[in-house]
Amino acid sequence: MENIVEFKNVTKRFKDFSLENINLQIKQGYVTGFVGANGAGKSTTMKLMMNLLQADAGEVKIFGMNYAGNEKEIKERMGFVYDSNVFYESLNLKDIRRIIAPAYKNWDDKTFYHYIKIFELPLNKAIKTFSKGMQMKASLAMALSHDAEFIMMDEPTAGLDPVFRRELLDILQDIMENGRRTLFFSTHITSDLERIADYITFIQKGKILFNDSMEDVQNRYALVKGSIDLLNRDTEKLFIKTERSSYDFQALTNDVAEVKTLLGNRVVIEEATLEDIMFYAKGAKHQNV
Amino acid sequence: MFNLIKKDLIIQKTQLLLFISLIIFLVFFARDISPILIFLVAGAYISANAYVYDGMAESNILLNSLPYTRKLIVASRYIGAMVYMILSMAMAGGVLYLFDYGYNMMDIAIAAGLFFIFAAFAFPLFYILKPAYIGVVMFIGMIVLAIGFQPAARFLEEHLATITNFIAGLSTTMLYFSGAAIAIGLYLISWVISQFIYQRKVF
Repeated sequence: MENIVEFKNVTKRFKDFSLENINLQIKQGYVTGFVGANGAGKSTTMKLMMNLLQADAGEVKIFGMNYAGNEKEIKERMGFVYDSNVFYESLNLKDIRRIIAPAYKNWDDKTFYHYIKIFELPLNKAIKTFSKGMQMKASLAMALSHDAEFIMMDEPTAGLDPVFRRELLDILQDIMENGRRTLFFSTHITSDLERIADYITFIQKGKILFNDSMEDVQNRYALVKGSIDLLNRDTEKLFIKTERSSYDFQALTNDVAEVKTLLGNRVVIEEATLEDIMFYAKGAKHQNV
Repeated sequence: MFNLIKKDLIIQKTQLLLFISLIIFLVFFARDISPILIFLVAGAYISANAYVYDGMAESNILLNSLPYTRKLIVASRYIGAMVYMILSMAMAGGVLYLFDYGYNMMDIAIAAGLFFIFAAFAFPLFYILKPAYIGVVMFIGMIVLAIGFQPAARFLEEHLATITNFIAGLSTTMLYFSGAAIAIGLYLISWVISQFIYQRKVF
């Protein structure tokens, strides 16, 4: 399986925040969800991917190429949807198309007008009158019109109403159907990912905690509930974080198999959602996620 | 490159109408203004406007996400400024001619030279500063000018004779040629500096 994006030991430091030794692979032909709390480093990682920021150390490769000397070629094949509007807001879509279309070799007007119709976007209204959802659709239409192989979306579902969010997820599923496209999107609405993501990348405080298939994540992680007298030094090692009440405990584990062997029927094992993982990982004492 | 230059026209469609009316206004209501100033304002209009639009962080993110290199973005700004200067000055010349406002080619040449010098200083500044700070910088610049004016004037007074003698010693052609060389030289140096700044810019 080929990697569309590869980060090798990438480090980027700011005054009050840093990404340390990021290793990341995005697999071709799949949807990879990028989760993490606000300020965990999602946008910084995406900016590194777009070469809006340059890494202090390490290597960023897109389509197997470095940005140095290949910037045009890489960006020809990439589509982007940012969490805020990047289009000139006083212009309408017709004019934006006039600016963006000639930038791409692969631009296809027919596809553009096709998506404008499907997304029900007005061509003659200024972008500033667009709702958040419309702006997002406009960006997506642009990315699809030049047949981007890799589409990067920063928080596309944030601030959208639930109906439209579902619609968007359906659209994304549609555009993935031919298997040629790769989608990478960041979100903190984890239920979106459970619907469409094949891979999950989890970032916390500038570090990637895991970068695995959805199936792996679901098999490895679980919520464990049981009586508090089961907790001792050995059993506690199985848990990433434990929450106790007077009689019971509830904990997140990343080693379901071992929990089953050690504690067996004495505990209740429940499937952990991504949100559970995010929540427990945040307060974890030992970072062996 | 052509697309990036054309972009400024698309963005400023409506402002261009304002541009023509501005020149006509100057012709009618400011009869005493030197044609040099009119040409200078006309020549700088589109580029100055373009900077206001591109100074916004969002448009930088857009341009840098499209298949353009940073080098190309800066180059199109400098080449675009020249193209638009020539076009707008020609247009201004046309309007002035129609309204029978006297000017000669020298006025245009001087205005172009002043534009190059003005742009050479302003463009790199625009890349360093956020648009919100430009006003502050201009204000500080004015204060510095006001404070520095007297010593500068005194200096000129003392050495004026030497300077005028030197200039008078040059032939007119020589004078204009060296003026043009300095203006264009500054513009080219500024281009290199802007490119250096923009390559390292963080969005």
